[in-house]
Amino acid sequence: MSDNRKRSMLEQFGGSVITGINHCGEFSRFHANAIITSLQAFFIPKTYPLIWTQMLAIGVRSVPVVCITGCFVGMVLAVQAYDQLAGLGLEEHLGVLINISVVKELGPVLTAVMLAGRVGGALTAELGTMNVTEQISAVRSMGTDPIRYLVSPRILACLLLTPFLIIYADFMGIIGGYVISVLHFGINNKAYWDFSASGIEMWDISIGIIKGFFFGAAIAGVSCYKGFNCKEGAAGVGQACTEAFVGSFIFILVIDFALAVVFKGIYASLWPIRSLL
Amino acid sequence: MQKDKDTNIDTSNSLLAIKGLSKSFGDNLVLDNISLAFEKGKTTVIIGQSGCGKTVLIKHLIGLLRPSDGSVYFKGERIDDLSEHKLQKIRTNFGFLFQGGALFDSLSVYENIIFPIQQHHKIKNYEKLEEIVKTKLTMVGMDGYQGYNPAELSGGQKKRVALARAIALSPEIILYDEPTTGLDPIRSDVINELILKLQKTLNITSIVVTHDMKSAYKIADRIIMLHNGRVVVDGRPEEIKNHSYPVVQQFINGQISEKDLKTIQLSSIGEEVAKLQ
Ligand SMILES: Nc1ncnc2c1ncn2[C@@H]1O[C@H](COP(=O)(O)OP(=O)(O)O)[C@@H](O)[C@H]1O
Ligand SMILES: [Mg+2]
Repeated sequence: MSDNRKRSMLEQFGGSVITGINHCGEFSRFHANAIITSLQAFFIPKTYPLIWTQMLAIGVRSVPVVCITGCFVGMVLAVQAYDQLAGLGLEEHLGVLINISVVKELGPVLTAVMLAGRVGGALTAELGTMNVTEQISAVRSMGTDPIRYLVSPRILACLLLTPFLIIYADFMGIIGGYVISVLHFGINNKAYWDFSASGIEMWDISIGIIKGFFFGAAIAGVSCYKGFNCKEGAAGVGQACTEAFVGSFIFILVIDFALAVVFKGIYASLWPIRSLL
Repeated sequence: MQKDKDTNIDTSNSLLAIKGLSKSFGDNLVLDNISLAFEKGKTTVIIGQSGCGKTVLIKHLIGLLRPSDGSVYFKGERIDDLSEHKLQKIRTNFGFLFQGGALFDSLSVYENIIFPIQQHHKIKNYEKLEEIVKTKLTMVGMDGYQGYNPAELSGGQKKRVALARAIALSPEIILYDEPTTGLDPIRSDVINELILKLQKTLNITSIVVTHDMKSAYKIADRIIMLHNGRVVVDGRPEEIKNHSYPVVQQFINGQISEKDLKTIQLSSIGEEVAKLQ
């Protein structure tokens, strides 16, 4: 046993690489399984009540906090950007700048981060506690798939509702930006909206909302995985929650980047028929 | 001689059997090459010190844990290498009472008990369902608690509700993990009578993990004792009572061994604290 302490650095490093790869494999399997089961569950009426309950907890109760986030993002952008643009005499373009930032990036990403904290934490804590009190084993012992009963409804609820929450955040962000720009800084109302309308396409708003599906699935997937693999005790649950939040956050950023690249490609290829869209 | 007996396990004719089962968690070898066969309609009691692997053993019987080595058979079919999906069907033949109850704390007592029924049957007649729940709860002396949440029940009451849930599907085999721990002597005896009654009227096979020797003598057709990951005794209750092996006598009489007694007497607990000051 005393050899343990003498393990070389290389050995330790190798050990952690192997554990890391194992975790990745396990996570991928869990997530793939969860997504397949969720798709199946989507067509089984028996799971609808479960999804409904989760939607209430995940979606409806998050509306206020998401609205507040959106509103402040819009207001802050207006305050920060006004001086820069006014210096160049371009303050009437403020609307484009605020609104495009809100609908394309800040609305979706900050909503997702809010949800990772609010919903992800709650999911991990709930499932983690169920795991350490053997309730998940109890589900299995009665011949039910815990992924189908516990994970699928949560993933589906999160996936279906995050886009709607992003719409709320976008809307409130636009209102927030408008209030500061037009009512506080006194930018011409018509010019503000005209420039905004000319600079933003339906495409920009859509990609923000489409991101929501991916963010929702990632948040619920990571949180459920962490809950299912939670270590025993109160400290275990706490640690799982922290890891779930950090994990979801990183996933959100990575997905955001990946989707930005993908959407850029799609947009370029659709450019010729753009007027039809 | 013990070895010979081990390898002669008849896996095809016994209801439930394990062959050469070993289980380790990391470096911790918990079960070491255990072979047992369980006959239909008999009650087997598993005894042994706390932490000797009794829970781990019975979890293998329904595939909640997978062996590190060896195999598990149900009705002659090997089940330890089945996929989780295939195990689900098999698990409906079993009832499992968890050591801590493992009631779903987001569901009421009523909902807990109908959970396994709902999962495996299409329910049309809700009045009949209420009747079933009432019968099961009456069996464990908990009728009238249908609307309670698990959080509002005492430890012993939770255990009894969990037992009602374990027998909800009227399984062929019931695995009890310490069914009488935490109950007063009269309630314990009610559970003993229940186990006996299920065996007599429905020919149910029971495997009971317990520390309660009084209960063990009352219900057991056969008693198995685990020690250091191995089966040290396997026989009828009378055989156990008169067994010559000191570990067995110490356990069934609830006596500490000479060696342990010495260590306790040697450590002068009060003085050490006094020395700190
Ligand atoms: N999931 C697990 N991971 C690691 N070790 C475990 C796990 N489950 C049980 N053990 C270990 O197995 C041993 C036996 O546990 P258990 O079967 O619960 O004992 P008991 O006989 O009291 O029911 C203990 O030493 C425990 O630490
Ligand atoms: Mg135990």
